[in-house]
Amino acid sequence: MTRRSIYSILVALLCCAMPVFAAEGAPAVPEAAVEQHEAEHDAGHAAAAHGEGADAHAAEGGHHALPLNATPLHSSLPISNSILMVWLAVGIIILFCRAATKKMSLIPTGFQNFAEWAVESLYDFLSGLMGKHLTLRTFWFFGTVFFFILVNNYMGLIPGVGTVGWKDEHGHMIAPWLRGANADINMTAAMAFSFAGLWFYWALTENSVKQFFAHIFAPKGSFAGAMLAVMVPVFLFVGVLEVISIMIRPVALTFRLFGNIYGGEQTLESLMALVPKSIAFLPALPFYFMELLVGFVQALVFTLLCAIFLKLICDHGDHDHDHAEEGHH
Amino acid sequence: MTTLLAAAAENPGVLENISKTFGLNWPFFIAQVVNFALVIFVLKKFAFGPIQVMLEQRRSRIAEGEANLVRIQKQLADSEANTAAAIAKANEDAARLINEAKTSAAALSEQKAQEAIASAQQILAKAEAAAQAERAAIKAELKQEFGRLVAATTAQVTGKVLTSDDQTRLSQEALASVER
Repeated sequence: MTRRSIYSILVALLCCAMPVFAAEGAPAVPEAAVEQHEAEHDAGHAAAAHGEGADAHAAEGGHHALPLNATPLHSSLPISNSILMVWLAVGIIILFCRAATKKMSLIPTGFQNFAEWAVESLYDFLSGLMGKHLTLRTFWFFGTVFFFILVNNYMGLIPGVGTVGWKDEHGHMIAPWLRGANADINMTAAMAFSFAGLWFYWALTENSVKQFFAHIFAPKGSFAGAMLAVMVPVFLFVGVLEVISIMIRPVALTFRLFGNIYGGEQTLESLMALVPKSIAFLPALPFYFMELLVGFVQALVFTLLCAIFLKLICDHGDHDHDHAEEGHH
Repeated sequence: MTTLLAAAAENPGVLENISKTFGLNWPFFIAQVVNFALVIFVLKKFAFGPIQVMLEQRRSRIAEGEANLVRIQKQLADSEANTAAAIAKANEDAARLINEAKTSAAALSEQKAQEAIASAQQILAKAEAAAQAERAAIKAELKQEFGRLVAATTAQVTGKVLTSDDQTRLSQEALASVER
């Protein structure tokens, strides 16, 4: 891909973003967002009618809260404010990659130095966890997951993201123009279920199909005679539990990341709503530092859990093999 | 989660409610999967690929450098050993040459000394012979002069002219008395 095609992608991304910021002054409120806002509003009134008190206020459009859903920006195209944020993140990542790898030299400087440090640190970390072979094979995924989540988490903390957007006639925000990508469950689900698919592929190619099922259902350890007869049904039951656990993993990954990031953004907004607008930044300031840490930790946790899940299914107990490989290299 | 799954099994609407609550829907999900795939492509092509190639290149350069260092150290050690051996051999040769030179010089010196002695003896003998010849010549000349003086003196004292025979006899007699 040439430099021209990269710039074309960036321009295309910006063009996609333009409709949101176009028009005179404030962008027009997307119909889909209005519909969503009205639906939430109705739900809030319904909740209020049931006398749910404070919860009803929150449900009533969440005037001091980030909406739970990403806001559609177009009635027919699947474009939301979080997808817009993803495109911006992709643009930033492309620019950074080009800056880092444009003139690579054996003695690194500037961006290249930083990029190499980041990539090599993560690679070594994953190698220690999964072994050299598996890391070499899968680093493109784990590296992408880590850096993509990290960039999106930090972009979600940029002032204005999630807080500046369309307002109704009362001045209450209907929907933000930009929304942290990981505060949208579709993004976290996309990553988690992509991993689930790749996990199956890697698990089946690293093991054979027989080994794959044996890994889940076969008794671990050496049993014989009556003990084997007892242990087989036990491990079959454990295997069923393992299958349920495997099915739940992407769901857990999805909600863990979404919950942490959405919760963080919600916390910041709620704290800002506690005080007058002129000093709104003050109560949220300490939590910004915490969110910087959370953004990194959540990226690491997601990557780490994926890596561990893969290692568990591909583990043949051949640590010596890895060490032998390392020694050989 | 188990409760959710159980609830979902009992009532299929639960999952639908969860999806609606959190805004999970197929078009956005697929769009995000495509976005994620795009990020994977970009990072793999423009970041991880070149960086890993560069890291591998650097690792191989370092390994090559270390191998070269080991080779150079070995060569240095070999070179030092060769140099030490060459120096030892040179020292040995030098000592042998010096000894040979010393022996040769002593022999030559002895030979020259002998030659000088012989030459000196020859010179001495020649000088002695020359001195003896000179002395004999002077002696003969003195004898002749003495005889002439005796003859002249006798001629003056006697007032007579002496013949040649007389002069010879007087000279011989005078010489005989002097030699006695």
